Amino acid sequence: MASETTSPTEATARRDSRLGWFDRSLFALCLGSVAVIVAGGLVQVSFGAFSMTIVESWQAVFNPDVIFNGDAWRAWLLGTDVPEMNKRSLIVWNIRLPRVFVGIFVGMNLAVSGAIFQAVTRNELASPFILGVSSGAGLLILLTLVAFSGLAVFLPAIASIGGAIAFLVVYAIAWKNGTSPVRLVLAGVIVGTVFQSLQTALFFFASDIGVVQSAIAWTTGSLTGTDWEQVRMVLPWTVVAMVLSLVSSRQLNVLLLGENTAKSLGMSVEKVRFALSGVAVLAAAASIAVAGIVGFVGLIVPHVVRNIVGSDYRKLVVGCVFAGPALMVAADVGARLAMNPVQIPVGIVTGLVGGPYFLYLMRKQDSMGEI
Amino acid sequence: MTENSSGQPSVSPTADESSADARTNGDHDEATATDDASELVGDDLEIGYPTTDEPVVECETVVLPPGEVTALVGPNGSGKSTLLKAMANQHSPSEGRILLDGEDVQTLETKPLARKLGLLSQENESPESLTVEDLVYHGRYPYQGFFDSHTDADHEAVDRAIELAGVDQLRDTQMGNLSGGQKQLVWIAMVLAQDTDLLLLDEPTTFLDLHHQIRVMEVVRSLNREEGVTVGIVLHDIGQAARFADNLIAMKDGELYDWGPPKDVVTEDLLADVFRVDARVDADSPTGPHIAPHRALEK
Repeated sequence: MASETTSPTEATARRDSRLGWFDRSLFALCLGSVAVIVAGGLVQVSFGAFSMTIVESWQAVFNPDVIFNGDAWRAWLLGTDVPEMNKRSLIVWNIRLPRVFVGIFVGMNLAVSGAIFQAVTRNELASPFILGVSSGAGLLILLTLVAFSGLAVFLPAIASIGGAIAFLVVYAIAWKNGTSPVRLVLAGVIVGTVFQSLQTALFFFASDIGVVQSAIAWTTGSLTGTDWEQVRMVLPWTVVAMVLSLVSSRQLNVLLLGENTAKSLGMSVEKVRFALSGVAVLAAAASIAVAGIVGFVGLIVPHVVRNIVGSDYRKLVVGCVFAGPALMVAADVGARLAMNPVQIPVGIVTGLVGGPYFLYLMRKQDSMGEI
Repeated sequence: MTENSSGQPSVSPTADESSADARTNGDHDEATATDDASELVGDDLEIGYPTTDEPVVECETVVLPPGEVTALVGPNGSGKSTLLKAMANQHSPSEGRILLDGEDVQTLETKPLARKLGLLSQENESPESLTVEDLVYHGRYPYQGFFDSHTDADHEAVDRAIELAGVDQLRDTQMGNLSGGQKQLVWIAMVLAQDTDLLLLDEPTTFLDLHHQIRVMEVVRSLNREEGVTVGIVLHDIGQAARFADNLIAMKDGELYDWGPPKDVVTEDLLADVFRVDARVDADSPTGPHIAPHRALEK
């Protein structure tokens, strides 16, 4: 943290530079996260049915013929035909790396979504899941798989619509001459409970075990079988959501001062709150669309980052953009390799890591909840 | 921005003149603003809450005369905070309107209003890790567009506000490490950074120790005397109000009981009627009417 005895010249220098807030703790966090992502990614590409040594897989990843090949990138990002390349690079770049990339984007989206929801509700315990987004998405996913299996190709879009609808319902329930953070969280819990009961009920109508397994993979969150197609799907929305949240950091900071202060500073609190929630729903929906409902990331990551860099959202959002992917990639390594050759959904790993971490926080901190 | 005031010790007309003026002059729409100071007028107000049938506050006219410090006093539940919130457009009155220099505050956009009228609420919370300087910078919010970064004007306003509030040595301290009194001074610095012509404060001295109470009041008074800012302030302590304010508005059961300069308003009758306290008032004390309370009166 900043020392309390900064000299005036230092203070002025800090103020005059546009990125003066980018301090050492944030830099360390970003660097550490990148290291985890790179390490996790390299482990991911080294293991699999076609085994190669770590050095071989590194060479395949950093193969300049692939990295600087415009055709290959066009193929991956725009969906054209993949050009010829050696077998190792093909396996690494075409099959194993996309899963890492999807993990990175999902982690980013979930972490930033959670951070925004926590500012909007001024509650550290808020996350896309508490506010009903995930239960709405999950319900529509199950409904599609069980009752309208013909629509399964549109599953990502359907999941996002479900999340958005659930959030609107939550907002409508919480609305009474404006909303309040507490009412938002309560309404989220109510809607989530109802939707979850409906989800459980739907399991009874599933026709075969395959449908149930697929449904479970969606509702616990899994990166198994993700491909460049998922990267193409999640990338544009991720860019939009990340840019919007980075430029909204001042609004988020002012919201943290409470409704009265924000209003007296001339903010249209309801409008800003709704717009920011929209960004958070977009980010959450984008990740649900490709990976299903991965729990705890949206809750833990903003928490960890806040403990390291403080609650200034200029730093917090940047920290989440790096730390979210780090957790997600590391958890996916566990999901893929812990019970090799059986892969478990990554959502199970994040839950198993997240629960104890929260328990630890609860014991350590006297008060939790308010930011 | 007030350009007029520096070096002029008596920006405002004396309390006597202006209140007499305001009393005889029924039409407050005509801005009586002298020296560019802002005036806030409430007309035929009825203010209530969704949970109550009866309005909490009813008053025909309430005026914060330009360039003066007006204190709202009254017992708990007399509606003074409600009135202040309505005057700051934080709470819409069910009837009547509030005019800032002749303009209805409800028709003003939120940011332009926040550049003219600042409000400090009674209770304020901030993240503990926020530094004093960063909090004061939030006072510049109404001047910034969505993508703007801080301008030189912002830096100057923040420096000035921090200096006026006397919290320069706390600049880089985190809010979580401050005492209640220091926090309040920092919040006042944030409102000062808003650079408004009119400032409303809701019980800024409650819960503070005596030293910080007086510091807060001194900051408010110097802002008024040196910059010509019109101040409306809810105070719990009528003795303090009598010392620092040019005008008092005494409220009882949601209505204005009396208003005028302290030595006219603070009487033994008022203390008995409004505050239900048996007290002796020394009206000739040099620092404003001095109150010596004896005992609480039954209804």
